[in-house]
Amino acid sequence: MSLATAALRRPATPAGPSLEPAPHIELVPPAAGRRARPRVLYAGVVVGGLGALMLSQLLLSIALSDGAYTIDALQTERKEQARAVQQLTEDLGRLSSPQNLAANAEALGMVQNTNPVWLRMSDGAVIGTPAPAAGAGVLAASGSQVANDLLTGVPLVTVPAAGAEGAQALPGQLGAPAPATPEQAAGTTAPAELPLLAAPTTR
Amino acid sequence: MTRRRSRRRIAASALALLAVLAVFLVRLIDIQVVHADSLNAEAEDKRSIPQTIMGVRGDIYDSTGVLLAQSVLRYDITASPRTAVKSEVTPQQAAEQIAPITGQKPEELVAAIQSAVEKDPDSDFAYLSKAVDAAAFEQIRDLEIPWVYYQAKPARVYPNGAVAGNLVGFVGSENQAQAGIELSEDECLAGEDGSEVYERSADGVRIPGSTIVTQEAVNGDDIVLTIDSDLQWFTQQTLATYAQRWEAAWGTVVVQEVETGRLLAVADYPTVDPNNVSATADVDVSSLGSRAFTAPFEPGSTFKTLTAASLLDAGLATPNSEVVAPYRFTTPEGADVNDSTRHETWNLTLTGVLKESSNTGLAQLGLLMTRQQRYEYMQRFGFGARTEVGFGGEEGGDLNGGPDSWDAQTNLTTMFGQGLTVTAVQMASAYQAIGNEGVRMPVSLVQGCRAPDGTITDAPPTEGTRVISEQAARQTVDMLENVAGKGWLASQIEIPGYRLATKTGTAQHADGSGGYASTYIVSLAGLAPADDPKYVVSVTLADPVKMNTSGAAAPVFREIMTQVLKQYAVVPSGTSSPDLATNY
Repeated sequence: MSLATAALRRPATPAGPSLEPAPHIELVPPAAGRRARPRVLYAGVVVGGLGALMLSQLLLSIALSDGAYTIDALQTERKEQARAVQQLTEDLGRLSSPQNLAANAEALGMVQNTNPVWLRMSDGAVIGTPAPAAGAGVLAASGSQVANDLLTGVPLVTVPAAGAEGAQALPGQLGAPAPATPEQAAGTTAPAELPLLAAPTTR
Repeated sequence: MTRRRSRRRIAASALALLAVLAVFLVRLIDIQVVHADSLNAEAEDKRSIPQTIMGVRGDIYDSTGVLLAQSVLRYDITASPRTAVKSEVTPQQAAEQIAPITGQKPEELVAAIQSAVEKDPDSDFAYLSKAVDAAAFEQIRDLEIPWVYYQAKPARVYPNGAVAGNLVGFVGSENQAQAGIELSEDECLAGEDGSEVYERSADGVRIPGSTIVTQEAVNGDDIVLTIDSDLQWFTQQTLATYAQRWEAAWGTVVVQEVETGRLLAVADYPTVDPNNVSATADVDVSSLGSRAFTAPFEPGSTFKTLTAASLLDAGLATPNSEVVAPYRFTTPEGADVNDSTRHETWNLTLTGVLKESSNTGLAQLGLLMTRQQRYEYMQRFGFGARTEVGFGGEEGGDLNGGPDSWDAQTNLTTMFGQGLTVTAVQMASAYQAIGNEGVRMPVSLVQGCRAPDGTITDAPPTEGTRVISEQAARQTVDMLENVAGKGWLASQIEIPGYRLATKTGTAQHADGSGGYASTYIVSLAGLAPADDPKYVVSVTLADPVKMNTSGAAAPVFREIMTQVLKQYAVVPSGTSSPDLATNY
């Protein structure tokens, strides 16, 4: 009680010394029957509550640590997958390099025509003089002049197919000698020592 | 009596409590204050694992989205030698399994372990193999050799090899930028490593919620070039083929877009494969960069175009201006120039001077302009200063100190490209200005630094500057068309259906002591299609032994320009070149 409220109350009580006798204070005997039961109940609730708490904490930590193992396993898996992605990206990069594409295209018998001819859509006029591509291709004359160390050991697509399927699919076009492959130009290491890429089977 | 006893009991237990509390307090201070540091460190060592989060270096792309430089992870395979020698998997057994995967010899691996143990029996670290790729790493890991460990480290691969290797540059063994764009744009590309700390259980599993990132990793941004990698490959292949055929010491080809000033291809021969720098570095260190930017040379007659264009712009000449061109021309000051071959005196127009590439004719016309005026035109064409690209080690060329320090002889020779030096890129850029109706665009090699959200920063300037008038530019192109169509190389550079505007140059090499050596730098610069110039191709070959005329550059020019016109689907001209008089 604060002083302020005490001051307000004072006038309500009779002033001057009290004439009443001191109040008689006496212990009330405990009501044994009424109190005994609640004590057991409370104890039970508390102990039970504690038990439930501990049990749930145990379960929670089991679940958590189990989750930790799952997370760990998943993270490891993600790392593996990321590695696989990286490897495939690297393979794709080197296989789609112009050196590799040109070497493969020419191995398949494609040469580039240095005489562009245009068909004008408006009047159907042919601009330029159509002429068959001269020469054996950009690479055939001098081999690949643009090094790419990553292509070391990467075989040309036609090499495995040259004997059987390729000859049927492309009759008469494989007579030309195989051009210098990039690995011959750049190669210092024997191809067998490096992990070989599987030859793509795209047709 | 009972009261006293209970008071004593209370006091005793209070004392006991205080004593216990005091003991706790002392111990608390002991742990938390006195031994705090050492205990913390001990605890950290036991459970807490610091780890570097790698900030990945940005990639480099060409203008079409082709990846030119890529960040990858490589793995160092290490071993604990002291464990190895005691292990049941002997170094010999392990080496025989690992060697075929890494391409080493088993003896090398055994020797690495043995020598480490011999030096220090307690040796706990030795490299077995450095920077193996992911496939090899997985194979080695699956061998489950108990004393072999791995360290992932960032590395760089260049999927297209030497395609644009001269421009992209390369990084060192610790991924530090060393050359080219890798070096000059390092600020954009470089990532910043972060760090984290986590706690781990006895069986090596990360304790959930224990990870604290102490420093966030910052990944680098990507660089986008103006180069087209397909064209760049074709240009390099063609240049190298002819450079070898003519046995040239070196050569460059620059392909530039007229409208924007963007470099579409900058080829160098010889050049570097950034995947295997040592292959070039061991033979020729000077071929690790791009000579097109870094090697100024005396250009010779390709420079005549610019002197002629300046004369037209200044109103001092027209394509039909007449001049009597003898074999030798001498000025009153005693300077003399002569043409490359003996000939009778010719009556030439300015167009004819360019077609015959007459030094004496041009020298007489060039004297119509003051040297100061000519020097200012040179500067506006971009000579004498580095281009806007700012390539690593780029040179600005040397205009021989400016007009005040030119002697009478230099005053004449600078008209036809001797006695001054330019870079191949500067020369292409000057022709770009002529092709672009007289407006020189800033040369650009990098489109900018691209953040993950696609925004581009550090974009190069795009504001052009007028060098000569539109009319002077058009007249210059017309004259060059007559050079291309009537000159001695006409049949060798012809591209059916397209009008070309070209000029050749065969310049003597300076011998380094004020005179000229007997070797030449041959070049050919040109624009196509001449009716509306879209592309510049400038070819330079140094000291071609087998053919020391600009004829050596002709097939290179023709093949590359054909490829450019084809690749960018330039519609054939459909008109014929204007016919200007070359003689009178």
